[in-house]
Amino acid sequence: MSVYVLPVLFLCLFTYCIYKKVNTYETFVKGAKGAIKLVVDIFPFIASILIAVGLLKVSGLTEVLANLLSPVFNLLGIPTELCELVLLRPFTGSGSYGILENIFATYGADSYISRCACVIMGCSETIFYVATVYISQTKVKRLLYAIPVALVCSLVGTVLACLICKIL
Amino acid sequence: MMLASILVLLVTNPSAVLSEMISCSADALELCIELCAIYAIWLGIMELVDASGLAEKLARLLRPLIKKIFRVEDKETQKLIAMNVSANLLGIGNAATPMGIKSMKALDDGSGKATFAIIMLIVINATSIQLLPTTIIGLRQSAGSANPADIIFPTLLVTIFTTVLGISLVIFIDKILKKIKNKRKAVEVKK
Repeated sequence: MSVYVLPVLFLCLFTYCIYKKVNTYETFVKGAKGAIKLVVDIFPFIASILIAVGLLKVSGLTEVLANLLSPVFNLLGIPTELCELVLLRPFTGSGSYGILENIFATYGADSYISRCACVIMGCSETIFYVATVYISQTKVKRLLYAIPVALVCSLVGTVLACLICKIL
Repeated sequence: MMLASILVLLVTNPSAVLSEMISCSADALELCIELCAIYAIWLGIMELVDASGLAEKLARLLRPLIKKIFRVEDKETQKLIAMNVSANLLGIGNAATPMGIKSMKALDDGSGKATFAIIMLIVINATSIQLLPTTIIGLRQSAGSANPADIIFPTLLVTIFTTVLGISLVIFIDKILKKIKNKRKAVEVKK
């Protein structure tokens, strides 16, 4: 079902544009042109956050952290197997998808662990990545309480995800 | 974070530091090229949405909500936020990002400090309210799940809850901070 959503939306949009007599091709090109400048502007920020995450992973600090934090997570009802995913999720999108695929391969796609992992992925975002990229083009230097609030929400979401997957 | 990682690596595997940094930077470049392709499509589509007047309609629909949550009066900014939020709802995060960056630019007051609306936008994007987690369902399907879509309902429950929690927390903290400020002002006036 979901494969039809985007194509149908595009079709509707193009039809609507023709109906509204918008110069479709030229308008599309005008918008698409902005992509290169945008990507050039955000590249340094993406690079530095990826480098930081890469170093963290290679140094083995994530495993140490996961081991240290797993008793705390267990107390909150988060299984030990999901610790690494929960820790890396705020930093990297591609990295956490890699971990998710690993979890599928190890525990099977329909296991409790895998379903939890899916819900955690669905209800959270790469917080640090989003924050870095979003403010990269502004003068904002201090985000005040934005990151802590986002992290708390993510953690609550994770706990809730593990709970709901147990019931449903 | 970077410092701690490098310190550990200095002891365990010093040769890995630079090679890992370079390989990550290369990954970033690859990601950016991919993103450039994706953004080109979405920015083109968004331009069409804008030019056809659909963006204005969408913004009008969401305006009362945006006014209340973000406390933003500027019409153009409201439109950008409306597009960012609706792209998030549809689960197309890649389309949401360029709109988010544009909204941030419009919201920036140049003071260097995040305003209420900036914090709110980051928190809403970070709690990722989405109706259809398409990527995850796809991955699960290819991993051989019997019913890959059965995570939609729990995900929806959790994501709605965290988003509402995020919005309320931001409003709550903002209120407390204002109270503290007012008290300080009152004390200064008394002096």
